Amino acid sequence: MNQGTPRSDTHSAGEATAKPRSDSGARPATGMGAGSDAPPSRRNLGKAILLSLPLLLLTAMMLMGQGGLPKNSLYLIPLIVTFLFTNTLFFLMVYTGRTDRYRAVFFVTMAVGFVITFIANLLEARGSMALSAANVVKGETPFCHMVIPMTLIPAALTRTIIFPGRILGGFADVATMFGIWIGATLTLGRGFCSWGCFFGGLEDGFSRIRRKPLVRKIGEKWTYLPYAVLVAIVVIAALTLSPTYCEWLCPFKTVTEFAAVTSFKVLVQTVMFVSLFAGLVVVLPILTKRRTQCGLFCPMGAFQSFTNKVNAFDVRIDSEKCTDCTRCVNVCPTFSMDDASVSRGGTRISCTKCGKCVDECPKGAISFHVKGTPIRSSTGKARMLFLYPGFVFLAVFGGGMIQGALYRILLLATTGHMIK
Amino acid sequence: MRGIMTKLKSFFGYAWALAALPIVLATFIGLNTWAKGLAEVTGVKISPWYSGGEVERVVPHDGYKTTINKPVFQGLVRERKQGFVQLKWTPNNSQSLPLVIDEEIDLDGDGKMDFGVRLDTRTDEARLNPYSSNVVSVNQVLNLGEERAVRVKLTNPRRLPPTARSQP
Repeated sequence: MNQGTPRSDTHSAGEATAKPRSDSGARPATGMGAGSDAPPSRRNLGKAILLSLPLLLLTAMMLMGQGGLPKNSLYLIPLIVTFLFTNTLFFLMVYTGRTDRYRAVFFVTMAVGFVITFIANLLEARGSMALSAANVVKGETPFCHMVIPMTLIPAALTRTIIFPGRILGGFADVATMFGIWIGATLTLGRGFCSWGCFFGGLEDGFSRIRRKPLVRKIGEKWTYLPYAVLVAIVVIAALTLSPTYCEWLCPFKTVTEFAAVTSFKVLVQTVMFVSLFAGLVVVLPILTKRRTQCGLFCPMGAFQSFTNKVNAFDVRIDSEKCTDCTRCVNVCPTFSMDDASVSRGGTRISCTKCGKCVDECPKGAISFHVKGTPIRSSTGKARMLFLYPGFVFLAVFGGGMIQGALYRILLLATTGHMIK
Repeated sequence: MRGIMTKLKSFFGYAWALAALPIVLATFIGLNTWAKGLAEVTGVKISPWYSGGEVERVVPHDGYKTTINKPVFQGLVRERKQGFVQLKWTPNNSQSLPLVIDEEIDLDGDGKMDFGVRLDTRTDEARLNPYSSNVVSVNQVLNLGEERAVRVKLTNPRRLPPTARSQP
């Protein structure tokens, strides 16, 4: 690796310091991309189809569930569309060798699908997005993964979950969401943030609107803010026995549910939610081309970073191929690469394994990697070993949300109403 | 020796990586079982600050019943100085609650009434008549559809100074 090039101590987004890279279509095909000097490249068509077949079978099995094909076309059409959409994207991922480009399409669609499905379900079940005191007492609040870090200390000391949901039964109960989170943590680590989090897709989408960023420099110290937020909310939640982040700071309340405005305090909370959503999820991602909520604020992301230590995959840089162009540092959506991490040949602990740096590296120096194995051995195999669980998780978790949204859209088109 | 270690590390790395897909599949296929198991093993419940606490006793009446929960003072390490008790009125089958409920409540079952509560089920307004020094005020009236619940703010008798505890 070239060590002579001085780098700035800030994260600068975009293409300001990057070397020009060639168009992927113009590159020669080099098989798996394993051990080659080129960036991700196309596979042989037959091999790509063969490698896509397992996902075809798995998604058919998982999306249909035990009930088989539904007879009602309002359910059948969304199922077929989701199935084709999922498998087309996976095939393209395998065939073109590009990960982030196709992951992002599914990820953003999942987030939009989640918002449509969630709001429609709420309106159908409760008649409103606003959460009343009666809903709290009846345990009618769906649990989400963002609450997990705040629940652990109170659960250990009081054996109770500080959330107005249900332990078992009902929509998104606590035990089910914990089960999904444990599965995701074991297999993906913080990869959950790019392959499972139904909120992350919103800002991922907004961060892709502009071709070039307007704000390029973001001080590295800001990347430690999520850890500070994590410590603060965990301590305050434990002391007050209430989910502080959900009550005061969650930007995604804006597009899911929020407490009914019945007092000045709730009004202030609502203003906080909307402001944080507008700032961190919409405006800053557009201006910086980064996932600013995930990279600069999200305490769940900070917490999930530590789980990167307990799964099999990471992203590594081959120091012999790296030319120190810092393109990876500039494009990483969650500020997970800096000079020090590149020098070490890897990412920071906050890497979400989105694959953007792998796609963007002009020298093909960055690859998915199986921990414990030599960096230069079988990068193509390591990528496929990660893609199967990663994409199956995304497809199963997000597939239902996309199906749900398509169902609501079809319902609207056929009956004029999105809710029954 | 170094070569063996490298091979071993590779073997375990690939084994863990290969296990990832079955873990994802098992997560979703067995989700209901895992969730049930997790709930049973940990034995956790929803915080009483949200759920209203555990049921202490149920008092039957003509046409409806009153559910009195255990007072909630839960803190992280020790009980808090202030808390609440939740009362819930549920109509019997195919009946509705009386227009006005007027009830005397004995919280600790010692035979002495701790407070009286009068609830207007049309307006959801409640009036409290405290007979004990640790009963403070009506905290919340909750319209739960056919049911109504009231949370009455309490001070924790176990956290009061000894002089205050002895007062009637």
